[in-house]
Amino acid sequence: MKILFNIVRRNLKLFFKDKGMFFSSLITPIILLVLYAAFLAKTYRDSFASALPDGVTIPNSVLNGTVASQLISALLAVSCVTVAFCSNLLMIQDKANGSIRDFTVSPVRRSAVAAGYYIASAASTLIVTISALAVCMIYIANQGWYMTFSDVLLVIIDVVLLTLFGTALSSCVNFFLSTSGQASAVGTIVSAGYGFICGAYMPIASFGEGLQKVLSFMPGTYGTCLLKNHMMRGVFAEMENLGFPPEVMKEVRDGVDYNIYFFDNHVSVSAMYTVLIGAILLFTGLFVLFHIMKRRAK
Amino acid sequence: MENIINIEHLNKSYGYLKAVNDLSFRVKRGELFAFLGVNGAGKSTTISMICGQLKKDSGNIIVCGENIENSFDIISRRIGVVFQNSVLDAQLSARDNLRSRASLYGITGKAFEKRFKELAKLLEFEEFANRPLIKLSGGQKRRIDIARALLHKPEILILDEPTTGLDPQTRRLLWDTVENLRKEKKMTVFLTTHYMEEAADVDYVVILDSGIIAAEGTPLELKNKYVGDYITLYGCDEAKISELGLPYKKIRDAFRITVPNVAKVTELIVSYPDIFTDYEVVKGKMDDVFLAVTGKNLPGGAIK
Repeated sequence: MKILFNIVRRNLKLFFKDKGMFFSSLITPIILLVLYAAFLAKTYRDSFASALPDGVTIPNSVLNGTVASQLISALLAVSCVTVAFCSNLLMIQDKANGSIRDFTVSPVRRSAVAAGYYIASAASTLIVTISALAVCMIYIANQGWYMTFSDVLLVIIDVVLLTLFGTALSSCVNFFLSTSGQASAVGTIVSAGYGFICGAYMPIASFGEGLQKVLSFMPGTYGTCLLKNHMMRGVFAEMENLGFPPEVMKEVRDGVDYNIYFFDNHVSVSAMYTVLIGAILLFTGLFVLFHIMKRRAK
Repeated sequence: MENIINIEHLNKSYGYLKAVNDLSFRVKRGELFAFLGVNGAGKSTTISMICGQLKKDSGNIIVCGENIENSFDIISRRIGVVFQNSVLDAQLSARDNLRSRASLYGITGKAFEKRFKELAKLLEFEEFANRPLIKLSGGQKRRIDIARALLHKPEILILDEPTTGLDPQTRRLLWDTVENLRKEKKMTVFLTTHYMEEAADVDYVVILDSGIIAAEGTPLELKNKYVGDYITLYGCDEAKISELGLPYKKIRDAFRITVPNVAKVTELIVSYPDIFTDYEVVKGKMDDVFLAVTGKNLPGGAIK
């Protein structure tokens, strides 16, 4: 345990000593928030208002709260994964500068080295994503706050799980990379593409049926959906209190991926947690297995 | 003396390139052993296989009586490696680097602090122990590399071209430290070097050329076998020197005569006592041995 603690300490020190790595990780969600608020909020608001049936009006605070919650849940869902890819670069740097040889020449278990990378990367990513969550909460409070304390707690749990998922996924992908150029290319692809395939940039409900079915196999989709469930539950409850008909609310929920379907079957929140936790365990296990297999194959 | 490293019929290829070709040699416990060869001769490949960094194609590697294939964990506790280029974390201090590396061997807490103090004193790095490695000179960094290799008190210290690019003072400190470790701890040192004068002081030399052993033996054996001796004669006429009928070269205020061996020197002294009034006899150098064996000059050459 002390060995693992020291490896994690070394990895974290290197992460925070590398100002470029730390600040680029930290600034990513903040830039996204600014871009969302500046360019997308108005479009979302107009689109949401125009989608309401004729004669149905909605108070500004509820409308703003709905749009903010939708944007922030999407932003956090993307950030937890893209930030993990940004901060999980030490493994590649160690290969590029030869430091990994100092580990492989020692009797330390390969699984401990793998766990060291994973834990340090998860911790550094969590620092960034929790900081981003705090800023996002301030933004939502400013736009229209309808969450309860338990909603906030569940959102924190979602962020933690999505961060662990992002760390596990990036660990598996980065394991096969050996230069910073490769890491940069992968980071760019993930940043550009992940938001679409997890239903963050555009609701999956707005895609074609075939694509919806394909995306329903992606575990990240359920992470985004969990965040939407816990961030938008309060504001949708408020809309119901205001007298929105149940059929309208169902359409609204379906339209923003609050409700998600796996081959026409509604996926419950507990099933979403099961998928996400299962994916974390699967990718983490694969990552440790890769390290052990590499040692044997050498 | 027992063999501490036993290499038998070792082979390693990269595609069509045979980097190590049926290599067999032994290193005795407590010995200072040197691997000589130009770049690409197979030195680093062999060392990488001994350190478990590279898988061999065939052959046996026995270190401290253990086969590397199934007992690397045991072997790794008995070897300390100074890599050709530093593999420590440049952003961290010597203390942080050594702390993280010591923990790989289970050395933590007070045990680490004790060992750290011993090494800082031994390698004289107390004053810059808390500075990031990136801010240290090449020689200072090398001392930390050596400290890292010695953290777990290994039986064998493997040095892959450890003095390349170092200033004379650090080079001296390094060799004094290695000598002390050999004397006091009976440590075996496995060295690769480009510097012939370093190879001249070792116990046993293996000269590698294109993955095979071109020659091996003690420096004296190699010099006797592959190169002659030199006599430098002072204060005599060139006419008298030419009477000897041996190849000679005029240098500043003397003549240097090349002779095949010491017996010939004795014979000349007895035969020409009037010429041999002021002279010195010098053995051939390892540079000459290397050139004679491989037909190549080492880029590092002798230390100036």
